[in-house]
Amino acid sequence: MSHFYYLLGHFNPVETVTMSKKVITREEWEKKLKDVNIRKEDMNKLVMNFLVTEGYVEAAEKFRIESGTEPDIDLATITDRMAVKKALQSGNVEDAIEKVNDLNPMILDTNPQLYFHLQQQRMIELIRCGKVEEALEFAQEELAPRGEENQSFLEELERTVALLAFDDIKNCPYGDLLDVSQRLKTASELNAAILTSQSHEKDPKLPSLLKMLIWAQNQLDEKAAYPRITNFTTAALEDPAV
Amino acid sequence: MPSSVVRTRPEDLAARLGVGGAAEQGDALLRVVREVKNQIIGNKTKKLRYLHLGAVPKIVSVLAAASQGGAGHGDAAVIVQAAAAIGSFACGVEDGVRAVLDSGALPHLTSILSHPEEKVVDAGARSLKMIFQSKLAPKYDVLQEKNLKFIFSLLDSDNENVTELAACIIAHSCERSEEQKALCDAGVLQKLVSLLGGSSNQKDACLNSIEAVVKYNPEVSSKFACIDYGKALKALTNLILDRRHPHTRFLACKCLIAVGQASPCHVEELQIKSKLVLVLVELLEEPGRVGDEVPFSLKTLIEDNEELHKQALSVNAVEKLCSFLHMSSINERRLQGLLIALAELSSKLEECRCQLISPQVLSLIIDALKHDRTDVRVAACYCIRNITRSLKNISAGCLSSEAVIVQFVQLLDDPSKLVQIAALSALCNIVVNGATRKSVLIRSEGVSRLVQLSKSMDSALRYVSVQVLRNLLFLADITDKECILKELTLSTLASLVYDSDCSIQEQALALLNNLMDGCDSIKHLFAEDNMILDAIMRQLKNSSSVGVCIQGMFVLCNIAARSELEKDSVMNFLVPSHEDSCNRSLAIKFLQSKENSLRVACLWCLVNLTNPNSGGLSRRVTRLRDAGIIFQLKSMLNDPCLDCKLRVRMILEQCTEFETTQG
Repeated sequence: MSHFYYLLGHFNPVETVTMSKKVITREEWEKKLKDVNIRKEDMNKLVMNFLVTEGYVEAAEKFRIESGTEPDIDLATITDRMAVKKALQSGNVEDAIEKVNDLNPMILDTNPQLYFHLQQQRMIELIRCGKVEEALEFAQEELAPRGEENQSFLEELERTVALLAFDDIKNCPYGDLLDVSQRLKTASELNAAILTSQSHEKDPKLPSLLKMLIWAQNQLDEKAAYPRITNFTTAALEDPAV
Repeated sequence: MPSSVVRTRPEDLAARLGVGGAAEQGDALLRVVREVKNQIIGNKTKKLRYLHLGAVPKIVSVLAAASQGGAGHGDAAVIVQAAAAIGSFACGVEDGVRAVLDSGALPHLTSILSHPEEKVVDAGARSLKMIFQSKLAPKYDVLQEKNLKFIFSLLDSDNENVTELAACIIAHSCERSEEQKALCDAGVLQKLVSLLGGSSNQKDACLNSIEAVVKYNPEVSSKFACIDYGKALKALTNLILDRRHPHTRFLACKCLIAVGQASPCHVEELQIKSKLVLVLVELLEEPGRVGDEVPFSLKTLIEDNEELHKQALSVNAVEKLCSFLHMSSINERRLQGLLIALAELSSKLEECRCQLISPQVLSLIIDALKHDRTDVRVAACYCIRNITRSLKNISAGCLSSEAVIVQFVQLLDDPSKLVQIAALSALCNIVVNGATRKSVLIRSEGVSRLVQLSKSMDSALRYVSVQVLRNLLFLADITDKECILKELTLSTLASLVYDSDCSIQEQALALLNNLMDGCDSIKHLFAEDNMILDAIMRQLKNSSSVGVCIQGMFVLCNIAARSELEKDSVMNFLVPSHEDSCNRSLAIKFLQSKENSLRVACLWCLVNLTNPNSGGLSRRVTRLRDAGIIFQLKSMLNDPCLDCKLRVRMILEQCTEFETTQG
């Protein structure tokens, strides 16, 4: 056996490398793909799940009419959820809180971390507008008691209050709190909590399928050369690199 | 638009609540109630403030007025807001639940469950759910027909909030086995199983109540297992595999554990149980409440089952549990659970103990001894107790350091009795060997504390502290022994031998054995007019506890190994001379005992009494023969217990040896 490898290695070193990897041609691959039957309804359900979870209510409605796929959640509740999200994303935290409480009062009562993040976001918005005194008062009245209840809240509170110590808040070490991404983070936490309260999964299925595809391709890369998908927006098959 | 912080003060809002006086009406009232609700949700401080202002009875009367005032639309909106506010008061604050119950909210909330508007029903059901999640809520007497009917009417609802409420009420109200049986007979379990097909929140609520109905009840558990030829069990085993819903997964595990405990035959021992071990170990990684509770369930599942301990070890449970110990911001509940699970795992398997002895892990456990929470301190003590079940570990690492001993001595003064007992039981193992450790304990005034505890009014405390003293005396050097005895005093020892609890008598006698072992301390038995010896003999005569007799006989055995005088006094006690031997002699009584160890103890005593090198041997052999003991011994030549058999032969040889030399 070793002798055989030696010879091969001598004459054609490239061959030996690919020897251990199986090569699957485009034709073979496409034939295999054709053998897999995925029902159209299942694909539609995946799309609907994505639209509903992400809150694209109009698209979901249109898709329902066009494809006949029934959403697994009352579309009206999406509108409410999106109203909450929108309020938060535009910095209107109090409005968002009132809307969530109307939707289901148990969400914030049973989720102290989310409640704290919303209050923290309120304070950030006050600081953003330069309402320093109001922000301080708010921190004392509303946030300090939460910090007493939980050590990790206290640390986050300290970070937030530290914003007040800087003149140029945008460029201070805690400036990231003022970033739009902070609003989005809070909004997505709230969105997830609402979905959970509605017995709905908090993440759409499609992105995790995509993750699985990437994982599977990485695994396969070690064993075979095959037409892989590199561009996920077009999902075009690439010729195996031999 | 940024939100404004200016909110109406609670004092003003509270004044505008309710009926009559300064109270608002119509839309204004609606706004006030809603504002209060929005201020208190998620905010404990605000809830307490409004409670002080007496807001709860006011809101309840708003609810009462609105729900009685017909089904107009305006009313419905007020009902929804008032019900939500009441529910929030009952969430997370005990005083809030009390206030809600005291102001008679329950009947009003229950009545709105039949309101025509879905939103109102939702609000009522959610609010009631909050109330019934509290321990303070009243229980529904499910033995009453009408209550059962009511619960069924809720279970049959199309509204998931209502079915969840029903499940919540069941979980809350079902405690005694007759309640479990009543619910089971009424078909509640079948109904709950059918609801497992619903949304995940409904599933969770149903799993919670299934657990409550089957827990510790073999009859109900086995009925549950037989529903639809095992379909219910199958449903649960499917749920534990569903990775998307960790909370549901965990609750299903708890149900299966409960069924498995109550009726083991239905949960195919290893197969399902190893699956459960696997799932629970996986769930350890969950953040939040699930992750906090998992270690407790893991402990319950594997308790006292070495096979499952091994399973857990094979899926790296110990590494995982330890890795969480290293996390900086770990909450108390989780810390307690981790320690409890680790204590369980190290209770049997040496392999696990070895993993915990590494300095990094051990120092974390030792830190936990100082934790603020009683539960955590207790768990840490038991963890160390079980780690030190391994002789190798006692002598290793930081456990031998003086600081650790001192820390345990401090725990002996802990305000909680549970901590004291746990610390004592750890000390019990720690002091077994190592002269330095013993002297550290003596120097750190640990002994005087132990002696105090051995006089405690509480028998559990007395028991463990005597046990520690007993182990402390084990192989201790003579100066340490004398030092301990001085502290303990003979009269305390005597009163321990006379203790009302026979397990403590047994420990006290065992302590005496360790005290006398291998040195001159035996003289103390005869001090103060044979105070201790008298006590031992009294107990041997009267006690019905085998353990007490065994330990007592070993003490006599030690005495019988000494001078002629002492041998004779033992002889007189065990085999009284003719005059007072109307009763069976103690020797015969013990030799005829069914208990192997008692026979062995008695035989060892006779071995010492018939020692060929002693002068009074002839006297004693004759005495033994006359009392029928030699005859009894001959009948024991083929004793089923090997140790007995060998001792019997030894004694008989010693006796015949004497007779042949005489003859």
